[in-house]
Amino acid sequence: MTVAGRTRPRFAGPMQLLFAGLIGLALFAGTIRAFMVGRPDLAKAATVFCGVFVQALPFLAFGVVISGLIATYVSPDRVARWLPRRTGAAILTAGVGGAALPGCECGAVPVARRLFGDGPSSDRQGAAALTFMLAAPAINPVVLVSTAVAFPGEPAMVGARFTASLLTAVAMGAIWSRWGRADWITRRLPRSPHSGGSKWTVFSEAARHDFLQAASYLVLGAATAAALNVLMPPSVYEHLAGQLLLGILTMAVLAFVLALCSEADAFVAASLTMLPLLPRLVFLVVGPAVDAKLFAMQAGVFGRPFATRFAPATFVVATVVATVVGLFFLGGAR
Amino acid sequence: MSRNTENVVLFLLGMCTAAIVVTGTFTRYVKPTLMPWLAMTAVLLVVLALSAAIRDVRARGGHGDDADHRDADIEHAHRSGVVWLLVLPVALLGFVVPPALGARATEPAVTDLPRLVMLRPFPPLPADRAPELPLPEVVVRVNRDSAYTLQGRLITVTGFTIKEGGEVDLGRVVIICCAADGQLSRLHLRGPAAATAATYPEETWVRVEGIVVPKPSDMAGLSTPTMTVSAVTPIEAPQNPYAY
Repeated sequence: MTVAGRTRPRFAGPMQLLFAGLIGLALFAGTIRAFMVGRPDLAKAATVFCGVFVQALPFLAFGVVISGLIATYVSPDRVARWLPRRTGAAILTAGVGGAALPGCECGAVPVARRLFGDGPSSDRQGAAALTFMLAAPAINPVVLVSTAVAFPGEPAMVGARFTASLLTAVAMGAIWSRWGRADWITRRLPRSPHSGGSKWTVFSEAARHDFLQAASYLVLGAATAAALNVLMPPSVYEHLAGQLLLGILTMAVLAFVLALCSEADAFVAASLTMLPLLPRLVFLVVGPAVDAKLFAMQAGVFGRPFATRFAPATFVVATVVATVVGLFFLGGAR
Repeated sequence: MSRNTENVVLFLLGMCTAAIVVTGTFTRYVKPTLMPWLAMTAVLLVVLALSAAIRDVRARGGHGDDADHRDADIEHAHRSGVVWLLVLPVALLGFVVPPALGARATEPAVTDLPRLVMLRPFPPLPADRAPELPLPEVVVRVNRDSAYTLQGRLITVTGFTIKEGGEVDLGRVVIICCAADGQLSRLHLRGPAAATAATYPEETWVRVEGIVVPKPSDMAGLSTPTMTVSAVTPIEAPQNPYAY
């Protein structure tokens, strides 16, 4: 109540607004449900939204627990001390270290933000954190095993995926350390109001903050994915059978649009048998690195100037790297 | 959004997650195996919300009324309006609860999923009179079984009816991870009892008994199998709407 401009009239406070909204929902939920019955597209979009969101929720929870633990026990300068001194070695370490976190991409974003730190963080640490963010969801054992299971006759697919994803992550780390600018990171980590508090306070404040940020943007991403899922005609795939370049581009775009979980995308890629392996590899490499929900989450956690530069760059690098690695591992269009 | 309101939204999201787990509606969106993780997530969110709220009340020295105004002194780290977006999943999961994907939502049909499996001898069916098989497995066995285990066997399959130009198909949506990757798996229903199935409205859940017509050996690639149906029974929608 110190600043007059800050006080809002009681009847329109956010809490009142929220409760008014909830009462409205309780009253009209039946009407909304009935409205959906006549509109299969809308019902499908709502179901797909819930699918993406609910699927990501436990992984995000796992991610914020890790990021809370980092906030509690791992100070940014300790990370800096752990990392090798040379930037190149630091990026490589982070890339390979990504293999240790079995989770999918939603959890990796808040963790990477914590590792990135906020102080006068060196290029080395920022680049390593971003490399970790891209590598963790793509090359962890769970993802590689599910890829092997999804492509039973194609062991080269696993090696190609691992190589292409790791190269993408390392390349993006290197690009960041060369051209990245700290002032693109407009979102700061909160200095806890209870910074003098117990370990539990630090942990739960960090986890709470990271969850709210990342989950809000996950809503945005899941809604985009749901809308595109409904609007994208399924016949898209069928026109691509003979055209490799078009197939690669479309699968890259599709990976962005569908925003599938990295632990399941191999099965979806495996089912698109009308396409050669190469475009499907592109799908598997682009998806965990950048997609609609990740773009939204990066904007929320790192800041919009960061996301609008980093996400398109990742998209291009992942597509090119996957194509080159695919040509090498899979021997062209098969 | 104020810190207090954020706590309420976080709490509600945790409760909605708990609700879809307890009522089982989460199977409309994800696989049943995610259940323990969703339950843990719900607990985590509720605990985070409650502990933040309790801490704030303590920090205010016990008089926590008039909270929306008073939290100005608990630093606005970055209070952004974006947290309002979380009201959308609260609304959908807690109040609207969108339906499971049906036949129309996954059309045009894709039956490619079974292509994952290579040609191989499948284990024999149970020796019962008409063993129950998941619909996608029937499609896989018809197309990929080098031991022809379905040949001449009476089987039971569950799914919903799909009507197309006077004929009836049996469908089941297959999900791999979540509802975003749902694909339709289907069988053509023919034979004496198919006419009964045709009298039910679209998307009626039924259990059918019949024999699958073998795939012509000269046919390459995948085909949608045809089943000669001898009995059709309407049933309640199953607890798990999808096949996995």
